[in-house]
Amino acid sequence: MGNRVKFAAGKLCEFLLTALLVSFFTFAAFSIIPGDAARVMLGTTATEEQVEHLRTELGLNEPLAQRYVSWLTSAMRGDFGKSLAFSEPVSELISSRLPVTLGMSLIALIIVIVVSFPFAAVCSRRPGKFTDRALSAAGHILFAIPPFALSMMLIILFTRVFGIVAVGQYARPSDDFGKFLSCLILPAFCIALPKIAMTFKFLRASMIEYSASDFARTSKSHGLTDFMILIKHIIPNSAVSSITVISLVLSDIMGGSLIVEQVFNLPGLGRLLLAAISRRDFPLLSGIVFYLALMTVVLYFMSDMIAALIDPRIRDRRTS
Amino acid sequence: MNLARISKRYLIMGMTLLGIVLAFFLIGLIWTPYGINDTDAAAKLLAPCADHLFGTDNMGRDVFSRCLAAARYTLLVSFAGVAVALVLGTVAGLAAGYFGGITDKIIMILSNSVMCFPGILLALVAVAVFGPSLYNVIWALGLVFAPTFARVYRSGTIELMTRDFILQSKVMKVPPVRLMYVHILPNLMAQILPAVITGLANMTLFESGMSYLGLGVQPPAASYGKMLSDAQSYMTVAPWLIIFPTLILVFYILGLYFISEWVRTSVRGGSQ
Amino acid sequence: MKYSIKEKLLACALALAFAVPAAACAKSSGDEANASLYGGDAVVGITQEPMIFDPYTVEAAGDREILFNVYEGLYKFDSTGTLNPCLATDVVISDDATTYTFTIREGVTFHDGSELDTGDVVYSLQKASEIKSEFADVESVVDNGDGTVTVTLNNPNSEMLSFFTVAIIPEGSYDTIGETRIGTGPFMFTSYEAGIGIVLTRNDNYWIPELPYLDTVTFKVCADMDSGFLELENGAIDIFPYLMTDKANQLNPASFEVLSLGSNMVQGLFLNNAVEPFDDVRVRQAINYAIDREEIINLTMDGAGVPLTTGMSPVIGDAYDSSLDDAYPHDTDRALELLEEAGYGDGFDMTISVPSNYLVHVNTAVAIADELDDIGINVEIEQVDWATWLDRIYTNREYQSTIIALTSDYAPYDVIGRYLSSADNNFINYSNPEVDAIIEQIPLTIDETERNELYHQLLDYMTEDAASCYIQDPYSTCAVSRRLAGYNLYPMYIQDMSTVHLAVDPAES
Repeated sequence: MGNRVKFAAGKLCEFLLTALLVSFFTFAAFSIIPGDAARVMLGTTATEEQVEHLRTELGLNEPLAQRYVSWLTSAMRGDFGKSLAFSEPVSELISSRLPVTLGMSLIALIIVIVVSFPFAAVCSRRPGKFTDRALSAAGHILFAIPPFALSMMLIILFTRVFGIVAVGQYARPSDDFGKFLSCLILPAFCIALPKIAMTFKFLRASMIEYSASDFARTSKSHGLTDFMILIKHIIPNSAVSSITVISLVLSDIMGGSLIVEQVFNLPGLGRLLLAAISRRDFPLLSGIVFYLALMTVVLYFMSDMIAALIDPRIRDRRTS
Repeated sequence: MNLARISKRYLIMGMTLLGIVLAFFLIGLIWTPYGINDTDAAAKLLAPCADHLFGTDNMGRDVFSRCLAAARYTLLVSFAGVAVALVLGTVAGLAAGYFGGITDKIIMILSNSVMCFPGILLALVAVAVFGPSLYNVIWALGLVFAPTFARVYRSGTIELMTRDFILQSKVMKVPPVRLMYVHILPNLMAQILPAVITGLANMTLFESGMSYLGLGVQPPAASYGKMLSDAQSYMTVAPWLIIFPTLILVFYILGLYFISEWVRTSVRGGSQ
Repeated sequence: MKYSIKEKLLACALALAFAVPAAACAKSSGDEANASLYGGDAVVGITQEPMIFDPYTVEAAGDREILFNVYEGLYKFDSTGTLNPCLATDVVISDDATTYTFTIREGVTFHDGSELDTGDVVYSLQKASEIKSEFADVESVVDNGDGTVTVTLNNPNSEMLSFFTVAIIPEGSYDTIGETRIGTGPFMFTSYEAGIGIVLTRNDNYWIPELPYLDTVTFKVCADMDSGFLELENGAIDIFPYLMTDKANQLNPASFEVLSLGSNMVQGLFLNNAVEPFDDVRVRQAINYAIDREEIINLTMDGAGVPLTTGMSPVIGDAYDSSLDDAYPHDTDRALELLEEAGYGDGFDMTISVPSNYLVHVNTAVAIADELDDIGINVEIEQVDWATWLDRIYTNREYQSTIIALTSDYAPYDVIGRYLSSADNNFINYSNPEVDAIIEQIPLTIDETERNELYHQLLDYMTEDAASCYIQDPYSTCAVSRRLAGYNLYPMYIQDMSTVHLAVDPAES
């Protein structure tokens, strides 16, 4: 038990260090690239005095290092400050966008798991037969279609051919949860498809391996049906080994959701991130990057934890 | 099961698909039916026809010619970017997995930080510091993609480190670099290849996403990713602007994927 | 998505059945303003995230067009570009153009219920003169005690009136304006959510009792033009003012009305007059002859633009000199001659820096590169992000040439002000002493005909100098759902929602 607490504490330290490092990188990047928030807000019609006035108001005239330190000290107290471009608290901005990114990623993950497990199970029972080969071939092709292109093709298909309206009808989860979910499904599907191929391939291979193993054969000789063996032994065993692949898939899914939300015009973190960069909004960008760091680390932390719980060798190795 | 036959089929399919892409690349270097950047207001958004095999785009440019010319940028960006990422990721991942302890911690924290850091911002910095050139964007892209490879190598190495043959080699005091080169790298081939293929695919698109902030391939030149993102405005009226570049991209990625499957199966076949 | 096919077919049939009578209604309902026109809501698509709600510091066109519905000034533009009395009933300008005396309208209330009085006007104009550079010359704002307010200027300025469109706010409310957002406009500010949009609700006590019609207006943020277009087609948006013509042509004319108008923008290939080779007037002229404006407008705007040869759009009215329309015809031979004279017979290399977020400008750069290639000029296009553009190109002037569309107030003096050699927004480094003299002369000239004559002279100089290579005033194209009527397109960035109403009796639809 003590080991586990130490393990978790270590991970927390890792996360804090990561977050600190990333915020420093962000700050350094902003001091290098040209342009500032006040200029972007006022555009070409404002005079120099107006820009200077706004700069002072936003505190952009203070030395960079001082701004970073004051941002960092308040961030450590959990206050990410106010966005320059949107004049709203950063945490509010992020929490209004988070449901889209998280929701889309989660739905995509569920689609990946729900689709790839049964297909892999079916294929692994009779490897090399028609079903297996057809599904594998389909998987290969899906794997190769970039989500961005897939999104556009699906939009054309759905809006033009089927006449189903699925684009731009975003509803906030608090207003209409059903509608919120329904507008995430198509984009989630676009992210999930190529990942299904990857997960399916991996699962199929590991299931074939387990089907051929001794205990599967033993169970069979004890009279268990194929289906029971699948449920009781093969799926749980391959689930364990597929945690790694799923954690890899997850980070791809998160990255994919940042791209796909642009095509589907959903107000997710990706758009906010682009806005923060193009408007030189340091507090907002640092806030978003902090959340991304948090999500990435939690993700890997969870997959590490599960792997460690299952395989003591890794736990010992990683805590030592 | 006849592994050799399957693997040969992978090779044939992979070579065919890649051959098509390569043909586009080579032909595009010497000849295109129309000028790549010749605009024509009278020939905007024409559907594929005898004069324009792949149709024309919103500026009246011949899409077939542009597809021929775009191959070079797509190949350059994806290969160079992944090469940078692979070198960085391999070194970092092997070191983290092999040495463990504090080395591992530091490398993983760094790689997590890079992963969370917005790639576009990194590319903006590269351009601000080193000037607006495609090559500066490529190394930035490489750095962004490196952590993925580092993760794969690291977890693979950790797993291998518990195997007997590695432990034996360690006892026999085989130098770490040699051990990594002879035992670890070849054994991780099967895991790293899909990651490389995904990397190549993602790279082609990531580059196009950067055009929003003016990074990446500069107009009027085009890559397939850029052609796709430009076509977004016309997807419902001119689907050919999306279909043809996507098709070539799919050929490219699928071809690479089949080759990687061939490598993987023939490596396994050889070791058995 | 949950409807069965049967239900869907039924819906289609119903929609078809209603489409014709609905269109017929739309026509007739304009003149018979009956009670059923009131109520309902409209969603306007915007592509720029709203940023500043402070009417005195707001500069972005995207913000101003929304605030037009919330705040009002002493004068107000209408859709023909005419300045009309608003919170003032009239103005008296002294003969030397140093004092403006406004009679303040009675019976106007703010959104918080308080009555508009001269104190509010004095307070607001004083605030504006502290903040806005257009009011830098204001010496005093005095309440005359008889319902009039007099503004006295340090220097004569006959071109001030359009600036008095500046918002009038309740006395003492500026410090909390970010939260209260109280004006006198037809709509009241209700809510704003970043990335989602702005909601305005009807001002029931608007001083024009028959306006506005709608209960609520939502300005919805769309990621870009394309996604906005999809939302328009899907019915999530009713009014979308940023359409490209080729998109507008895709719309079903039975469901949408498409309006187009010059937008008082000046798009051009701006040449840095201080760097080689553009410090040579012959090179600048050569480029003007080398490009084919019609072709570029066809390529980038589907023909929806007014060709420009000088830095002012014809939509501005009499200040524009229409004799300049054909000043630079497409003439490759003339261009080559001029280049030869200037010593660039073999052509040269140039870089066009273009803001990457404006697709029209990027496409224009591509078209220009293709055309300049014909006279031996090798163009390299460099995309920069908007913040970099503002910093490096607009502010620091570190560039060779760039493409942008300049926006100005709907006032000729604001359009040409930047060509004063010492102006801090003279980013092309244009310098001509004659032009400087005219620019200084204009505000001192009281007579409008004389003033327009000066504008014409000035534009002649600029065209002769080929200050830059002006291309077009791109039309602004707006699609309005047939569900609504009464929308007026302005030749400037304004979304006037006060006249918009439902086209059909809500009970019917």
